[in-house]
Amino acid sequence: MSLAAIPSRETNAASEGRRSAALLERFTPLMLLTPALAIAVVFFGLPALTMLRMSFNLHVDQRLFVPGLTFDHYGEIVSNPLFRGAVWTTIRLALIASLVTVMLGYCFAMLTWLKPRRWRLYLMGLALAPMLVSEISIIFGWWMFFPKNGLLSYALVSTGIVHEKISLMYTEFAALVGLTYLSLPFCFFILLSVFDGIDRRLLESSADLGAGPFTAFREILLPLTRGGVLAAFSQCFIWTMGTYATPTALGPDALWTMGLLVQEQMLSKHNWPLASAFAMLLVAIIAMVMFVARSLSTRRIDYHD
Amino acid sequence: MIDTVAAVGSAPRRRLGEASLLAAAGWAFIIFITTYMLIPVLVTAVMSFNSAAMVRFPLSGFSLRWYAGFLASPLWMDALWNSIVVALGTTVVSASAGILAAWAFSRYDLPFKNLLYLLIMMPLFLPGVVLGLGLAITFGGVQIAGVPLYGSRFLVVLGHSLWAMPLVFLLMEATFRTVDKRIVEASGDLGAGPVRTFFEIVLPMVSTGVFSSMLFALVISLNEFMMALFLTNRDTQTLPVLMWLSLRSAGTPNLAVAAVVLAVTVFASLTLIALWHIRSLRRA
Amino acid sequence: MIADVSGHRPALHLENVRRRYGGIVAVRSLNLSLAQGEFLTFLGPSGSGKTTTLRMIGGFEQPDAGSIWIKGERVDHLPPHRRDIATIFQAGALFPHKTVAENIAYGLRMRGLQKPEITARVREVLAVVRLSGFEERYPNQLSGGQKQRVALARSMAVRPAILLFDEPLSALDLSLRLQLRSEIKRLHEEHGFSAIYVTHDQSEAMALSSRIVIMNRGGIEQVDTPLGISRAPASEFVYNFIGESCCMPLVASGGEVRDRQGGAIDLKLHTPPREGEWRLYLRPSRIKMAAAAEACENSLEVQVGFVEFLGESYRYHLRAGALEFFCDNPAPHMPRSEIA
Repeated sequence: MSLAAIPSRETNAASEGRRSAALLERFTPLMLLTPALAIAVVFFGLPALTMLRMSFNLHVDQRLFVPGLTFDHYGEIVSNPLFRGAVWTTIRLALIASLVTVMLGYCFAMLTWLKPRRWRLYLMGLALAPMLVSEISIIFGWWMFFPKNGLLSYALVSTGIVHEKISLMYTEFAALVGLTYLSLPFCFFILLSVFDGIDRRLLESSADLGAGPFTAFREILLPLTRGGVLAAFSQCFIWTMGTYATPTALGPDALWTMGLLVQEQMLSKHNWPLASAFAMLLVAIIAMVMFVARSLSTRRIDYHD
Repeated sequence: MIDTVAAVGSAPRRRLGEASLLAAAGWAFIIFITTYMLIPVLVTAVMSFNSAAMVRFPLSGFSLRWYAGFLASPLWMDALWNSIVVALGTTVVSASAGILAAWAFSRYDLPFKNLLYLLIMMPLFLPGVVLGLGLAITFGGVQIAGVPLYGSRFLVVLGHSLWAMPLVFLLMEATFRTVDKRIVEASGDLGAGPVRTFFEIVLPMVSTGVFSSMLFALVISLNEFMMALFLTNRDTQTLPVLMWLSLRSAGTPNLAVAAVVLAVTVFASLTLIALWHIRSLRRA
Repeated sequence: MIADVSGHRPALHLENVRRRYGGIVAVRSLNLSLAQGEFLTFLGPSGSGKTTTLRMIGGFEQPDAGSIWIKGERVDHLPPHRRDIATIFQAGALFPHKTVAENIAYGLRMRGLQKPEITARVREVLAVVRLSGFEERYPNQLSGGQKQRVALARSMAVRPAILLFDEPLSALDLSLRLQLRSEIKRLHEEHGFSAIYVTHDQSEAMALSSRIVIMNRGGIEQVDTPLGISRAPASEFVYNFIGESCCMPLVASGGEVRDRQGGAIDLKLHTPPREGEWRLYLRPSRIKMAAAAEACENSLEVQVGFVEFLGESYRYHLRAGALEFFCDNPAPHMPRSEIA
């Protein structure tokens, strides 16, 4: 290994070239991220801050907003019984709908998991329907099902189960049926992925050891799917909190939700600060639910490990 | 002792009863869920072919007149056109931004990776009302070259991208992780620059993922109405917005036709992905 | 520019190349030159820094310090696609959506060759690796060995200054590995390319290399020809790493040799050890067993513990004082023996 001449310093041009190549390499990921970050910052971050700021602005009649600093709008949400009722209604609807959805979704996902393979595609396709069809189309479908001249009433009367035409339209029940329908696929696919991670032989070995199906469910399936149930529940809750078309269109007129209030304050009353205050409250509740669900599920994992 | 024997003897019989009960319950559930999932879809489909002018049961007869009416109505056709333009725009914007970001995430070490991830993903968890409101009050008075941003299709595209882009990002990040790193290195090794490598080696390898995430974006945008309601005016309203507004005034058979047209557009896109997938399977 | 005495520039020159990950030193101050047409192998256990070194030569990782020169051009900090190298990866890393011909043509296209020339080169190089007629196949229609030969062809087609082999045979089963090893050897003899080969398999290193670099913990233990490495290991690590060996910890004092517990060992050596603690290494295959009466230059009286039959030879597990070791003998032997 005899080296006659090893240059101690390389030429300026070469080092310049090396430096610019390294610089380019460093900026490549930044360039790749630029479009996504631009969208997220300009069309999400900026509006979020604007909304936050807007919620403290003053509202004077006939004007969208007047710059200022006031907590009146938050105060109004708390003090006005109509608004307070809307917050409560939103949470109550979301809770009931999520509970029902998780129970239905759990059975649905478990069945899909247990049934032979050829059933799987059919059941998954079924669950996909609400995801692929627009919320408005689905609302319209139920809108033709529940009223006096709708399919339900017609079917019940013509089969002789009831004698008078009946209407379930504009009831809380109809709103819940619609909400559950729309959030079922989220829940189903979350839970199905959890079930798919479970070795089905666990059930066989549990049966071998003498446990009946209900014992096996309680002792094996339920503990193994708890994290999934939590995730599915919080996902449904978040989704049903934010939607407003379904409860508004199918539920009674008095069924005010936060989404409806945001829309109304924005589009009809032109009260931007109050609409923003409602939106911020909605975001706060959603963030809280996500945070609680997250900390609950991580604690469970810590406990097991 | 005797007790134990008796218990062992009766266990299989009891279990058999339980099992058949469970099987029956399973069947009942399948029938229930099938009915539940199909009611709104089928009712709408059937109603679109009903001849009566009123939305009511029993049906009066088969007719295509509502389809003819839909196709002849500039109002509905404009809304459909708007929907398609917005959906295609959303697909292009969210797919290109989401795919590039996902590639950056899976290929490079990034500073503040978790923060960036959160920033990109967060809009997906927020309701359309909130995102729509934010965009409306932020860009309400903004004009670009004399054209107001508010009410333009452009703003709706960006609004829909807030949901579509995180989804593309999520899907593509998972897909890129399946790409063998050495194949990417081999391309650089043979003399191809990063851009060339990305377009000639990486993208073709994940073409199915790219295609499905683009269709996700398309479907989301076609069906979304909340943000569109906030951000459009009479000239730019999308099909779901028009459906919502006419449902609030009076439900007509036109609505059923619109719902079917929208669903057909979505399913046509899905058929495309299925065909693409089959083609790529055959080639591999 | 760098040149050796005869005026030829080395294909590759590494100077004080260093790389660390966090607090862990992966490669410490490496200096090395590869002559034109030389086949150099980095051999070492996992974590010895051999793969990191290869990846730095290939441009997939940047050295923290030092410089890398390929044919007299400084290349560290250049990305892989600006370096005149081509790598054969572990499982081939063929582009799954391109045919064999397209895979091979890829590097040629990147170098701006014209179509007829590309076609000619693809045909030529496929003939070299004996895969003529496989042009239109996709990688998933090839066997593991064929894939690796296509990878080899793809790299050779661009005629790089250096071919880099990143454990190319480790994913194959034994018979295929031996077959492909001979293939690589043949190609090197016929085409005389310069190559860096990374492996943890010493038989591969021995069979293929002009020189072997033994690496351990990020540093070079020894650089020598295969013969030199096996005849004269430069360090205890090399002795242990190459081939099987028996280690005897000894203490020499006052002309007597004892084991570490102080028990006397009847060891006679041609050149008696100096005073102090020693570890004596023996190759099991080079220990001869003989009757106690036979006179030898170096000898040790031992007791035979038990015997294993290895198919070709017998392995005797031996004991001398507190020392336990073994030797291989082609034929069964009588119990009480001495060793030469």
